[in-house]
Amino acid sequence: MKRHSKQCTSDSRRHFLASGAMNVSSVALAWLISQNRGMAEVKKPDLQKRVHDTTPKVPPGEPKARAMISLWMQGGPSHHDMFDPKPEMAKYDGKEFPGEIKYDNAAQSSSKVFHSPWKFQPHGQSGMELSELIPHTGSIADDICLIRSMHTGVNNHGQSIRALQSGRTAEGRPSLGSWLTYGLGSESDSLPAFMSLIDPGQLPVLGVENWSNGWLPSIYQGTVVRPREPRILDLTPPSHLKGKAQRRALEYLEQLNANHLTGYPDSTDLQARIASYQLAARMQTSATEALDLSQESKKTQEMYGMHEKATADYGSRCLIARRLVERGVRFVQVYTANQLWDSHGSIASRLPAACQKVDCPSAALVKDLKQRGLLDSTVVHWGGEMGRLPVVQNDAGKAKIGRDHNTYGFSMWLAGGGFKPGHIHGKTDEWGHKAVENVVNHYDYHATLLHLFGLDHQDLIFNRSNRDQTLTDGQPGKVVKEILA
Amino acid sequence: MLRLTCAALFVSVFTAYLRAESAAPLRFETDVRAILRAHCFQCHGEEPEVQGNLDLRLVRFMHRGGDSGTAIVPGEPEQSPLYQRLRDGEMPPDESKQISKKELRIIHDWIVEGAGTVREEPESLGLEPYLTEEDKGHWSLQPIRRPNVPTQVNPNLVANPIDAFLLSELKKHDLEFSPTAPPRKLLRRLSLDLLGLPPSPESVQSFVDSIASADGAEKIWSVTVDTMLESPHYGERWARHWLDVAGYADSEGYTDADSERPDAWRYRDYVIESFNADMPFDQFITEQLAGDELVTSPLKNLSAADAKRLVATGFLRMAPDGTGGAVADKLQARHDTMADTIRIVSSSFLGLTVGCAQCHDHRYDPISQADYYRFRAIFQPAFDPDKWQVPTKRRVSLYTDEDRKRAAEIEVEAKKVDAQRTSQQKVFISATFEKQLKELPESVHELARAAHETAAAKRTPEQNQLFKKHPNLNVTSGSLYLYDRKAADELKELAAKATQIRATKPKQEFIRAITEQPGRLPATHLLFRGNPDQTRQELQPGGLSVVSLNTSLPRIPVETSDVATSGRRLALAKRLTHPEYPLTSRVIVNRVWRQHFGRGLVETPGDFGVQGMAPSHPELLDWLAVEFIESGWSLKHLHRLILQSRAWRQAVTNHANRNRVDPDNTLFGSGKLRRLDAEIVRDCILDISGKLNTKARGPAVPVMADRVGRFVIGKENSNAGRPGSVIDMKGEQYRRSIYIQMRRSRPLAVLEAFDQPPMSPNCDKRNVSTASTQSLLMMNSELLLTYSRHFAEQLSQLGLDPAERIEAAWQAVYCRHPSALEREATLGFLAEQQSVFEQLADYKAADGKPPAKSAELEALAVMCQMLMGSNEFLYVD
Repeated sequence: MKRHSKQCTSDSRRHFLASGAMNVSSVALAWLISQNRGMAEVKKPDLQKRVHDTTPKVPPGEPKARAMISLWMQGGPSHHDMFDPKPEMAKYDGKEFPGEIKYDNAAQSSSKVFHSPWKFQPHGQSGMELSELIPHTGSIADDICLIRSMHTGVNNHGQSIRALQSGRTAEGRPSLGSWLTYGLGSESDSLPAFMSLIDPGQLPVLGVENWSNGWLPSIYQGTVVRPREPRILDLTPPSHLKGKAQRRALEYLEQLNANHLTGYPDSTDLQARIASYQLAARMQTSATEALDLSQESKKTQEMYGMHEKATADYGSRCLIARRLVERGVRFVQVYTANQLWDSHGSIASRLPAACQKVDCPSAALVKDLKQRGLLDSTVVHWGGEMGRLPVVQNDAGKAKIGRDHNTYGFSMWLAGGGFKPGHIHGKTDEWGHKAVENVVNHYDYHATLLHLFGLDHQDLIFNRSNRDQTLTDGQPGKVVKEILA
Repeated sequence: MLRLTCAALFVSVFTAYLRAESAAPLRFETDVRAILRAHCFQCHGEEPEVQGNLDLRLVRFMHRGGDSGTAIVPGEPEQSPLYQRLRDGEMPPDESKQISKKELRIIHDWIVEGAGTVREEPESLGLEPYLTEEDKGHWSLQPIRRPNVPTQVNPNLVANPIDAFLLSELKKHDLEFSPTAPPRKLLRRLSLDLLGLPPSPESVQSFVDSIASADGAEKIWSVTVDTMLESPHYGERWARHWLDVAGYADSEGYTDADSERPDAWRYRDYVIESFNADMPFDQFITEQLAGDELVTSPLKNLSAADAKRLVATGFLRMAPDGTGGAVADKLQARHDTMADTIRIVSSSFLGLTVGCAQCHDHRYDPISQADYYRFRAIFQPAFDPDKWQVPTKRRVSLYTDEDRKRAAEIEVEAKKVDAQRTSQQKVFISATFEKQLKELPESVHELARAAHETAAAKRTPEQNQLFKKHPNLNVTSGSLYLYDRKAADELKELAAKATQIRATKPKQEFIRAITEQPGRLPATHLLFRGNPDQTRQELQPGGLSVVSLNTSLPRIPVETSDVATSGRRLALAKRLTHPEYPLTSRVIVNRVWRQHFGRGLVETPGDFGVQGMAPSHPELLDWLAVEFIESGWSLKHLHRLILQSRAWRQAVTNHANRNRVDPDNTLFGSGKLRRLDAEIVRDCILDISGKLNTKARGPAVPVMADRVGRFVIGKENSNAGRPGSVIDMKGEQYRRSIYIQMRRSRPLAVLEAFDQPPMSPNCDKRNVSTASTQSLLMMNSELLLTYSRHFAEQLSQLGLDPAERIEAAWQAVYCRHPSALEREATLGFLAEQQSVFEQLADYKAADGKPPAKSAELEALAVMCQMLMGSNEFLYVD
């Protein structure tokens, strides 16, 4: 599976090995994945030198998924208006909400029921009901697994983002992509294992924390791809250095770094930088090629909406995401701009605009992966850190009203990679307020994801300060069997 | 939710510790309340609608009970609904918020022991959060007292009390300091730390020689530290740390337009100068918060000292500010700017996340929403949303009366030329008109003259008809040049003369400042949900009540007669710099410590609240804070203390035992390997390659997008959207990074790559990343290629011997000599590279002409580039 860059002569590969930093995959796995839980008690003393790399690792379980693309909808897409119809609410529209509401706030907001002004209709064989705001998503209803009972229970953006992106609401933990690349490495040795495709607008809430490696070695950090051309700067060597000159120069650099490393053999930062030069050298050809959308047919480009103003940006980035996983990248996250979905007010205009930006590209991605036979092994995730409340916020006229945060019940969907297609899992209460049936907490979602990658969330450990750390961090995550294909 | 769990975990560990220590009976305030606050209070007490009518905030209320009767039966946990519900997992209803077994055990035991309290509880609770003794007991709110310096430590290792505090903790773990770092490394570390620039090879050599020969090594070290502290580069380095905290930017942010802030740089220079002059930090704080309230000269005629004070208030103008541009909701934009300003003020001086209480009571720290708006009221007279000043309107001119007088005199002169020109123009037009008229029959002359005298819009139909028939009669100031070029040129000259005269006026410059309108005291209201459309009760200005619990601090008045303005910010500054104020000095010394050691005594420099991390060495932190205040808030004193400690001078070591006991080096038993900050990477490259322009002060060096959209130094020069020729930057491109424009939407590529933070609104702690995009920049960017060639040229001027060049390169980049092996390997590398380049056309002699480029020099440049891309350069040990 591992491809060698054309630039790497056998001579230089030997040299990389001699530097001792990054190519000892067999050792890494031995301590990376602890044995079955039953055997964890008799863990052997850790005598092996710890080496961190991104070479592909074989997971202990049977993997369904090999790669993941997360379409990260930060801000809280309104499930009431997109995924979770509550026709019974119509007759209460504008009336006093009879139940209890958990606001973001101690002080109460408006308690007027807000029935969705958008129409729902069933789609596909599965008859999945989705709203008119996302017609393209409707066209992939039979491919997606819609969870209507997501729950994190923390009503702030930052904390709920952390819950979903890094397992816990605490700051400073590694993100999901870092865990996956730590556990599985990458199938590409010429592209970063974890790539973040940011929006041309503002960075999402928490910024760089979204792709932080936390306390995992920095080799597992996400690499940012710029939202406009050139997507990655400095990919082309200057003409006089092309070929042998640069190859020898980098070998020379590696020699310097290897000498320096002998003074600090345990520094994962120094090791990571050595590896980053090796990767950068290979990216010069492979990333240039991977990011070149002109290689795609006009038909494909249009399928992703690249010819329309509203979808051109997100469509391009979804298409890049497909090209990256096709080339062995493990985890790609495609962001929307800061708080795009945070419809506290003016939901009537803001939500349709947000839907229009991502609906066609997201659906195209699933269809495209499917037609290329990649969907079975690629998880596509679509969702944000929260949903919205069933009541009006900012009661200042039809154009201005919105909905407040709700992390007690919201929707997201997954496709491919072993998730059950055309399936709806879980329910919120009659108001779409709280998840009441088959509740899926963020740690259940993470446990399930790792399971599909052949990893057990309790066994994928990183030893930090003499403590074994995991993504779910002791939370009672369970694999949600009902959503597995 | 995890925050809750963390807090709860901390509490349970804490209570377990207490129990082991005292075996005293469990009490509500000390053992139970924090658990219930994290898991239950929100629905059972804090929100206006109390679930099941059961309020759990006081034991008194638990006895009273709710809809299902009393909540506790002392002595009988099994009969107590509180315990039953928690045990059965019925409460809290959120699965994810349930309490741990340990916590449940504490509640169980507490009920068994009689469900007691430490002290009598109040009868009822008001709208304000109930602050218990335990809230007041939070470490960072305690008065700062100078602790005793530990004595039971190895005196040979103690250069000053810092060492004693650290060693006494290390000793508890059977650890000691690592040995002192070798002199070359030490000097490089010191220079990068204090100046952000590498030491010159000569200074390294002289330091090594003197420290080896002299028996007063301590003295030499101390002199070296002092000398560097006097360098003007010190301020340029350390101001950067403060500018991160202040959220310094040369643009407004908030909207996509991100318009420039042309005057922000004066504040940057103020910070640099204040650091260099070692301005007492209490004065520095006061001027930034309330410099305008200290101004005594009239705004129209500022003294130099007052102008400086006003510049200092630029601190309060650093937040993103969209109010001058096109925004959907202007009122919201104003409130957002205020909220960000409060966030900056509170994280920088208070180390508290006051901003979290904008929409509701702080979830973890005892800061109520009312407290937030009281705090905001301090700033309301300056940030009056109803009399808002947009950015361009809040500039204060630096014109003095003298300047104004001079400008008026010059204007008079210019007007004279204007008048001369106007009358001359009239004469020319008239003459030209008459000349045209001559060619027409006499009969129409009268009509034509009348038409000429009449403004075009007011002409009669008859007159219009005539002009239409004879368009050449239409002689105006705009068309004169078509008839009489010479006359037009003469007028042009007069206009130019007027412009020239006006150009001699004193240049008007501006300060970006905060000012208040004397006598105007706008009311501050609590904003329901933080929503500016929903005002609630009026609040008076106040510092945070929780900070005042343990000490008596100056209060914030509504207004004062001492100054013309409200005096509120001045009072805040007095409060923050009061020796009894528990946070400011702790927060500042921790920041300074963190920059020197790469790790704080408190690792959450902007959050000293419940959610922040507890100090690893609380006594040392307090000792430093007291020392800092008593030294007259002298930063340089603090630097000296830290840099002269043994602790700071330790080598970076790697001991198996220490790695096991203290893998994160929280005990400071070793130096720390650290990557250079973005600005240092760039500044060092400039310096090493001999290009650094050390010019200080002045407007920001502009940043523009290059051909490929990368942000580089340069003046934009586009013609109808097409890039024009490159404008010569005249050496400005070589200035230190702190002088480069920091436009939020245009981060300089090399700085962004190495984690220069986006200011939204400020940055407490920088990210340190390792990414292949950084490697690509070091390998292929124009920047590295250019400076590597400059560096190579420098080296080649030293002589022809490659070994000498290698020697010099090593000293410049690494501050050491190359090893024999390194020299050999490098000689081989140079020869090989040279032979590769000699195969390329550019490097070959052709048609009797010498080669366009030197292969030898190019090979040397590649070597330089690799040295500057290597870990030994990018990290400091």
